[in-house]
Amino acid sequence: MQFDWTTFVLEVLNFLVLVWILKRFLYQPVLTVLDSRQARIESEMAQAARLQQEGASLRQQYAERLAQWAEEREQLRQQLQQELGQLRAAGMEKIRQSLADEDGKARVRNAAATASHEAGLIRLAASEAYRNVAAMLRRLASPMLTASIVQLLLEDLAALPEEQRAVLRSAAEKLAADGQAEVASAHPLDDGTRQQIARGVSAAAGRSLPVTVSADAALIAGVRVAVGECLLHANLLDELAFFRRQNGRA
Amino acid sequence: MSGSELAGGVLFHLGPLAITDTVATTWGVMLFLAIAARLLTYRLAPRPSRRQTIAEGVVAVVERAIGEAVPAGAVRRVLPFVASLWIFVLAANLAGLIPGVHAPTRDLSATAALAALVFASTHWYGIRARGLRAYLRHYTKPSPILLPFHIISELTRTLALAIRLFGNIMSLEMAALLVLLIAGFLVPVPLLMLHVIEAVVQAYIFGVLALIYIGGAIEPGETDEAEPSRAVSPAAAGAENSNDKEES
Repeated sequence: MQFDWTTFVLEVLNFLVLVWILKRFLYQPVLTVLDSRQARIESEMAQAARLQQEGASLRQQYAERLAQWAEEREQLRQQLQQELGQLRAAGMEKIRQSLADEDGKARVRNAAATASHEAGLIRLAASEAYRNVAAMLRRLASPMLTASIVQLLLEDLAALPEEQRAVLRSAAEKLAADGQAEVASAHPLDDGTRQQIARGVSAAAGRSLPVTVSADAALIAGVRVAVGECLLHANLLDELAFFRRQNGRA
Repeated sequence: MSGSELAGGVLFHLGPLAITDTVATTWGVMLFLAIAARLLTYRLAPRPSRRQTIAEGVVAVVERAIGEAVPAGAVRRVLPFVASLWIFVLAANLAGLIPGVHAPTRDLSATAALAALVFASTHWYGIRARGLRAYLRHYTKPSPILLPFHIISELTRTLALAIRLFGNIMSLEMAALLVLLIAGFLVPVPLLMLHVIEAVVQAYIFGVLALIYIGGAIEPGETDEAEPSRAVSPAAAGAENSNDKEES
């Protein structure tokens, strides 16, 4: 076991030179490559983390947007249902109103038809009643009844109101100078009765009017006096017709 | 078995310097390592080739091993020295497999030079990391009475470092030579396989011990209470314990 100082010193120098050589040609280039690769990996990892974070953020935004859309859709659906309900209610109300109107019209039509029918029945009943009354009065009619009615006519002419008297006078004035009052009688009149009628009519008309008498059995009993355009009804037929008209108006 | 079998014989003189086969072999190993390093790192690319992968693998493994023993900030500073120790000792040990070539590490002058470099680098890295006063103060911890023992420990572990590598490699080559002389030409082949294993193991031990010493110098020990801000790493504690066992 020998120790050589020259070898010792040379070995020290050799090793230091070797350290420099390996550092220059091995460690530094490899470490540089490793560092750059590590830096690139870290950069890519950071970028991946950033992309992942952005993805998570976008996913969260998408989820929030979906939730917002769902909420808006629900609100729109509720609004649509509300509008449909309102439209349905309005339509139902309109239909009810229309039905009520139609019901009212139907009621009115029914009432009118019923009233018309009732009026027709009344008219029919009245007509039947008048026909029966006329038949009965024809059986009761007699010259005496005609004379009685003439007396009533004369009494009414004497107490004729002024308005009716003026109308009668106006009709008489429109007659020609030889104008006559035409008298239709249900029964033959005697001369005395005819003269009484002529006097009564002349007094009411304000001028002298001769009368011509004709027979008209349709009058049942009584007379009808025509002075121009003015008619004086004093017979059962016209009375029945008058009552019939009055009843029809009622 | 002459003295030149134990210490390298002088091959030639370079001026006043006597160049032994140890130095010549060392130059050969250096040339080989320089060429290999240049070839491995020629045209490095972001996508590594096979040879680049080998280079990156070697450097990455060494860096990771160093990172377990020293603080992260000192790894790149320590790496060239420790990695060169590993690589050179391994190559020097394996150089003995070449017929007619002796391993430089079977020369005490060479192993002593490496141990002396480890001794010097330990203090160099320790002073750089902790400062001169703080570094020198740790020799007086936990008690100034231990200062002589610390100094003796520093010297003996350096001596042990040199003797261990020298003794193992020298005895290995000696055993192979004896077997070759006694048994015949092909019988030492299994012993050569043992040589490979021993070369790897001794290179690993030498480098790890150097790393432990440097790590212990950079990081304060458990008894170094004057600097509470410096944490004690398990690797450094383990290094100190290993050191103590080695000395014992």
